[in-house]
Amino acid sequence: MTNNELSDSKLVSLYIKGNEESFEVLLNRYKSKVFTNIYLIVKDRYVAEDLTQDTFIKAINTLRSGRYNEEGKFKPWILRIAHNLAIDTFRKNKRYPTIVMEDGSNVFNTLEFAEAPYENYQVAQDTKTKLLAFIEELPENQREVIMMRHYQEMSFQDIAESTNVSINTALGRMRYALINLRKKMKQHNIAYDQNIYPS
Amino acid sequence: MIKTFTQVDLIRFIYNETTPKQHHEIELALLCDSELMDNFKSLKETIKSLDSLSCSPSNSTLEAILNYSKSTNLHAAH
Repeated sequence: MTNNELSDSKLVSLYIKGNEESFEVLLNRYKSKVFTNIYLIVKDRYVAEDLTQDTFIKAINTLRSGRYNEEGKFKPWILRIAHNLAIDTFRKNKRYPTIVMEDGSNVFNTLEFAEAPYENYQVAQDTKTKLLAFIEELPENQREVIMMRHYQEMSFQDIAESTNVSINTALGRMRYALINLRKKMKQHNIAYDQNIYPS
Repeated sequence: MIKTFTQVDLIRFIYNETTPKQHHEIELALLCDSELMDNFKSLKETIKSLDSLSCSPSNSTLEAILNYSKSTNLHAAH
């Protein structure tokens, strides 16, 4: 069995014993989830890069010091660290910087699309920018449940407990969020296209 | 008899938060109920679009993290 096939728990255990490669696997496994979570909160690529680094360094320090609780799971743990750091930073800044690249372009312009023609690439960038704006326009409780369920991968039960509502309320908010997003996407003629978002 | 399912049930289904029994019942209902299938496709498509916002940190950030990790490895042979 290669390191890539090992469970998070096994990789953590190997890393604590000194196996560096196991951490590299964990980093590659969660780098996008951590970065996306942070970026969607702070809306600044440079800040998101720094906070991604801080998140993993915090995790390294905890693992190295023996303070990691093995009963918890690595994924929710690392995503929680990322979320908390992003929220702290956002509260300190108290505003959403929307454009961050030196040339004024959006962060998503730096993303690569596998062999997509330029027209598709451009459409995808525009779609991402609009989609991000649609999420920001949602009522706070709907945006929150999308962030928690889709990007932090919390269960609806965990979301309900975390936000002090019933699971039906959490699910209802998700439903309204998706309906509202769908409506906005239709209004702006945006549709999911498998050619643009290769799986 | 085929049960009736709501959009909330479909959301739980898409996010794999149904029991195996519910999962099977919804799969069965989707085969027989075209309106439910339309709702499913619509929700699934919207949820899938959220994946498009996923992005990765730069290589320099990843290298910095790995370098930090190596620098703190007390088990490393010197």
